[in-house]
Amino acid sequence: MSETQRRGPKVELGRRLAALPRDKADTLLLLIAALMVLAPHFAHLPLWVSLAVCATLLWRAAITWRGKRMPPLWLLVPVAVAAMAGVYLTYRTLLGRDAGVAMLTLLLAFKLLEMRAKRDLFVVIFLSFFVLLTSFFYSQTMPTALFMAATIIVLLTAQQSFQYTGAVPPLARRLRTSAKLFLLAAPLALLMFVGFPRVQGPLWGMPGDAHSGRSGISDSMAPGTLSSLAQSDEVAFRVRFLDQAPSQNQLYWRSIVLGDYDGRTWTRVPRRRGAQRAAIAISVRGQAVRHEVTMEPTGKRWLAPLELTGPRFSVPGFNVRESDEMEQFTMEPVARRVRYAASAYVDFQLQANEQPENLKRWLELPHGFNPRTLALAQQLRQAVPPTANGQPDARQLSQQVLSMFRRDTFSYTLQPPLAGRDMVDDFLFTGKAGFCEHYSGAYVVLMRAMGVPARVVTGYQGGEMNPLDGYLTVRQSDAHAWAEIWLPSHGWRRVDPTGAVAPERIARNLARALPAPSAFGFGQLIELQNDPGSWLAQLRFRYAALNNSWNQWVLDYNPERQRSFLTELGSVFGNWRSAVGAALVCALAWLLHWRRQRRPAAPLDGLYQAFCRLQARHGYARRPDEGPLSYAARLRDMPASADKHAAMETFLTLYGALKYGGAGAEQRTASLKTLKTLLPLCR
Amino acid sequence: MNSGLQALYRKGRKVSNRWLFQLRDSEPGEVTLTSRRVFILPTRAGLSFTLLLLIMLIGALNYNLGLGFALTFFTGACAVADMFLTARNLALLKLAPGRAQPVFAGEEAQFELHLTNPTKLDRYAIWLGFQTQGEPRQVTDVAAGGASAVVLSLPTRERGWLAAPRIQLTTRFPLGLFKAWSYWQPELRVLVYPTPEAPAQPLPSRGAASEDGHGTVGLDNFAGIRSYQQGDPMRHLAWRQIARHDPALGGQLVTKHFEGGAVAELALDFADLPLQLDLELKLSRMTQWVLEAEQRALPYTFRLAQHAYGPALGDAHRAACLRALALFGREGGA
Repeated sequence: MSETQRRGPKVELGRRLAALPRDKADTLLLLIAALMVLAPHFAHLPLWVSLAVCATLLWRAAITWRGKRMPPLWLLVPVAVAAMAGVYLTYRTLLGRDAGVAMLTLLLAFKLLEMRAKRDLFVVIFLSFFVLLTSFFYSQTMPTALFMAATIIVLLTAQQSFQYTGAVPPLARRLRTSAKLFLLAAPLALLMFVGFPRVQGPLWGMPGDAHSGRSGISDSMAPGTLSSLAQSDEVAFRVRFLDQAPSQNQLYWRSIVLGDYDGRTWTRVPRRRGAQRAAIAISVRGQAVRHEVTMEPTGKRWLAPLELTGPRFSVPGFNVRESDEMEQFTMEPVARRVRYAASAYVDFQLQANEQPENLKRWLELPHGFNPRTLALAQQLRQAVPPTANGQPDARQLSQQVLSMFRRDTFSYTLQPPLAGRDMVDDFLFTGKAGFCEHYSGAYVVLMRAMGVPARVVTGYQGGEMNPLDGYLTVRQSDAHAWAEIWLPSHGWRRVDPTGAVAPERIARNLARALPAPSAFGFGQLIELQNDPGSWLAQLRFRYAALNNSWNQWVLDYNPERQRSFLTELGSVFGNWRSAVGAALVCALAWLLHWRRQRRPAAPLDGLYQAFCRLQARHGYARRPDEGPLSYAARLRDMPASADKHAAMETFLTLYGALKYGGAGAEQRTASLKTLKTLLPLCR
Repeated sequence: MNSGLQALYRKGRKVSNRWLFQLRDSEPGEVTLTSRRVFILPTRAGLSFTLLLLIMLIGALNYNLGLGFALTFFTGACAVADMFLTARNLALLKLAPGRAQPVFAGEEAQFELHLTNPTKLDRYAIWLGFQTQGEPRQVTDVAAGGASAVVLSLPTRERGWLAAPRIQLTTRFPLGLFKAWSYWQPELRVLVYPTPEAPAQPLPSRGAASEDGHGTVGLDNFAGIRSYQQGDPMRHLAWRQIARHDPALGGQLVTKHFEGGAVAELALDFADLPLQLDLELKLSRMTQWVLEAEQRALPYTFRLAQHAYGPALGDAHRAACLRALALFGREGGA
């Protein structure tokens, strides 16, 4: 059995890799770097593009490995044209973000096949850097950043490897050199990151697909809309309260008000054409809750301020409007992360003196739907005596409905049973299980059927407070729907029917409210996760805090943040004490550097120089052309004691032997020590 | 107008060479490339890299990509670090002139140079060449604490001393985005002997020429036959004897041996050359004769103006003669 067979194919491959000629090894390294650049794109590229890119890289690797010739241009050009046509057929355009990225990845792969001169190498590397940039359209998380750093280092190593002309250090050392270069660059990069003047993008119109695929509250609510959101862990926005944070059950983030119901879907009430826009009457009580919201891009115009914020709060860079229903929206879609300061009043009255004719549209119900619900409404209405002015006692009626939800065996679930045409009937009388959208929808239908103006409000409820950095994180899973009813002289009042069934949902958060799916054995894990004292929760909080500061400082370092940070920095370093301190640190660093420069590179030469300096004082400076032996001969004429002459003679002989003779390392250190002891004797 | 501009350019070039690049005259002994002597500029790739950074910056701005900014600034800072490392790859290198063997005009002069790296950094891909020859073509690595020798060759045309032209050291290591360079004028010269005349003229003979017109040593009387020695002229081979003992059959080459009364030595005297000959041609002929005499192991005397050597044979004699020929009438002729 031969040596290689016994060691197995892996060792064989390693040996062949190590024995690879230099240019081949360099090319393979470049291919690995290109693969690292391209790999993150495979997640979103069409499958055929990913496959084409992989095939091209493999082809190139095979060419390199076997030492074959590169494909001729007449073969490459049609392939490239076909790829371009494929991109066009897939996206129906060659412009725009996704099509552009697909083109770039293909271009990079093909360029590897057409790499002949050194110039082409730079083209490949530069193209790789650009493709690396485009991957941030899709992900900008911390792991992405770490992978980016690794990719940069491998790219630099590949670039560096092509620069060697003679000896080439092993790959590990080249990687270390690149990592050192990267670290050397880090302080300057950080400085530029912090100090480079930021302008609020975009510089020109973004391609339409720049921020596709974001989820969030939409302006309609059909069965399943919210429950699908509830399973998304994506962050909607983060809030930092400047004052005391309101309690969890006051955290209602109001987004969209839905009033039109077609028996299945709730939609926004379109603004009546030509209707005079009345001033919204709001009266507030108590202290304002000041807070700062960092909102993730939604690609939509709706905001979700804390109820009740505004009117007329501002989002930097956006024109904010509000509707008659106190929805806040921007004129432009929110396509980037924005940060805005706001203050909200938890205790408020909205449109207390609204005219009855303006309330009529909050009473409309589709005809011929949900007969049992309508009948139930009639029953309830007759059971409750109307108020003095003949109006239904809305407060009482609402209590009736909520206590029905509480009393009957209603349950709260993300997987409600399927409902038929009369969805509310099915929910109230057969299924009796649902999510917030079912409860709020059914509640509004019942209230309207009893003559009480009512509407569905969607937004977010609650959020998770991170005790470490004090940020409240609101996720898509916190999406919620509740209801509002109009009470005479009180205005719109918030009613949360879900709270009647699952008060935990409102008081804590969603994960708590849902019964643990213990069937999968994750029950305990979830319990653990939601117990704020557990180590898992601590870990989660820590990660969330890190992620949040990542978002705040890296991804969302915008002009405002830059200004405030630099001002803060200026105030720290602005006083003379800090300035002197900084100057001292710099001087010390320079001094250390200078001393290191002054220190001779080799101790042997240093000793010799010291010796020569000593003799120069006696007028016996070494001539530039003098070797140690001729110098020694000249020094013999120096008037000095016999001891000194002996010391000088020994010193120079030993020096000559050390400098020009071959001595082992051990002997060297011993001789150096002797030289050191001899030096003062030569004074 | 055009010539005026050219003159201005030349003058500007001269001023820049002197003040900007600090081109100095030859420096004796070892020279350390202080960082003040190392110049650096981006290469073409470096300029394209700047363009790439600009595009990346615009992309990051337009799409408001935080990580895009980070990538742009990191790659930009890596380029700055590369600039630093490229300059450092050359700085503090020690240069010393090495040996330079004499050559004949028309041959390539070989200048040996020693590069010593006293620092703890390995130096890679250092290109050397004469400034006058454009981009350097010799390349070497110098390990930390190590040394390396490089031989640069330069075509020669004229006899005399040839000083090594200014040397340019260039490096683009590690990333190739910047080119650092430095100049060094070593105190190194090579002696260029005159070109040996071709076709070769027969050696001169003093007194009577031999029967075939070739002056040779002691050709007066035939004194017998001896075995062939290297350097014996072909025409003295004793063909009759050789024919009898066929060398292929184990026979030996034999030479006719002559003895003169007083052995007339071979004299190479510049003054004996025809007056109408061009000076350089005369020197070439003398050179050729010195070489031939050495090759044929014929002791010779040499006379050129105040120089008179010999009769002798051997490397030292040859070198002295050739040196005298090379420097005849040249400045610093000694």
